[in-house]
Amino acid sequence: MLRRQIAGIRGAAMMLLLLSGLPLLAQNTATGVINATLVNKNGIALIFDSDPGGLALGAAGTSAVSADFGLISAFGPLSGGVTRPAVGPASFTVRTLFDVNVFQGGLNSTGYTLAANLATAAPIGLNYKVDAVTLTTVLQTIQTNGTYNIDVAHNLDLVVNTAAPGAGGPAVNTPITTTINFTATAN
Amino acid sequence: MKKVMLLTIFAALMMISSAAVAQTASGTLTVTATVNGSINLVFNSDASGVALSSGAGTNAATLAFGNVSAFGPISAGIVRSTTATTFTVSSAVDVLVSKTNSASANYTLKAQLGAADAVNTWTVGGIAVSNAAQSTLTATGTYAANSNFPVAITVPFTTASGTLISNTINYVATAN
Repeated sequence: MLRRQIAGIRGAAMMLLLLSGLPLLAQNTATGVINATLVNKNGIALIFDSDPGGLALGAAGTSAVSADFGLISAFGPLSGGVTRPAVGPASFTVRTLFDVNVFQGGLNSTGYTLAANLATAAPIGLNYKVDAVTLTTVLQTIQTNGTYNIDVAHNLDLVVNTAAPGAGGPAVNTPITTTINFTATAN
Repeated sequence: MKKVMLLTIFAALMMISSAAVAQTASGTLTVTATVNGSINLVFNSDASGVALSSGAGTNAATLAFGNVSAFGPISAGIVRSTTATTFTVSSAVDVLVSKTNSASANYTLKAQLGAADAVNTWTVGGIAVSNAAQSTLTATGTYAANSNFPVAITVPFTTASGTLISNTINYVATAN
C-alpha cells in the first residue's frame, strides 16, 4: 500500500517536472553562421545621353537609344537640336550632338577607345559620320582616349546627296533608319 | 625546384590571359531621318548691271540705282530709255534657283511689289509687277543657273527732283 502511494507521488512529481519544463523549452534559441562571399568582377558599361545642344534621344541613359532628325532638307526648316553646317552643290550635312558615357569598375584602365560601325550598309545617297569618321559596316575608331564617367559629346552628321531619287540621291518623304553600333574598349 | 618553376609558369600564364581579355562595352544608336526635296532662291549681281549693294548671294538683297534722271549722267550698269513723258532706268539682276533631292525639271518664278506705287511703273524681266497680285516672270526657269531678270522703273517727267523711289519686290520660285 505504501509502495503504491510512493509510486503515485513519484509519478505526480515527474508530471510536474515535465510540465514545468515546457515553457523553458520554448525559450531555446538556435544560432548559425553563414559565410557569404562575393567576387567583385571588373567591367565597363556604355550609355548614351542627350546632349543639351542636340536632339533629345529616345531611351536616353541606356545603351540602346534612338535619334530622330525628323524632316531634313538642304534649305527647309530643321528640327530643334539639328543644325546644317554645310550645303554644297553635291551634298548637304545635317548634324546633331549626342553624349557617350562610359563607366568602369574594378579596372586599372585610365581611358577607353570608342569605335563604331553601321549595322548595315548606308542607304543610297546618305553617309553617316561620327565626328570626323565616315562610318561603314567595318568597326572604326572614333576616339582613343575617352574619359570614364563623364558625358563625352560627339557629332553625328548625316551627309545627304542632293541628287534626285534614282539619280544618286536618297529616297525622299519617307523615314530612313540606320543603326550604328558603338563599342568601348578599356585601354 | 620543379614545383616552383611550374607555379611561376602558371602564374605567368594567368597574367597573360587576364591581360589578353580586353574589357568592352557596347551600345546601339538608331538614327532616323526623312529627306525632303527643297529649292532655294538667291540674288546675284549681274556683270552687266548695277552691283547689288547688299545681300548678294542671299535671298534678301538691295538694288540701289542711286541718282537717276531722264537726261543727265547715269551710273554704270543702268540702262536708260525715254519717251515723251517718262524715262525708264533698268538694271540686270540675276536670280539663281537651286534644287536638291527633287526630280523637278524647272521652276516657275513670280514677283510682286511689296507696296502699291500709283506713280511709277515697275517691271521685272520685262513683266509688269504690282502689289495687287503676283506676276509670272517665267514658267520654265532653269535650275542652278544665274538668270537675268532686269528690274526696271519707269518714272514720269512730272516727278519732283530729289524724290526717293523705293519699294520691295517679293519673288517666289515654285518647283514644277
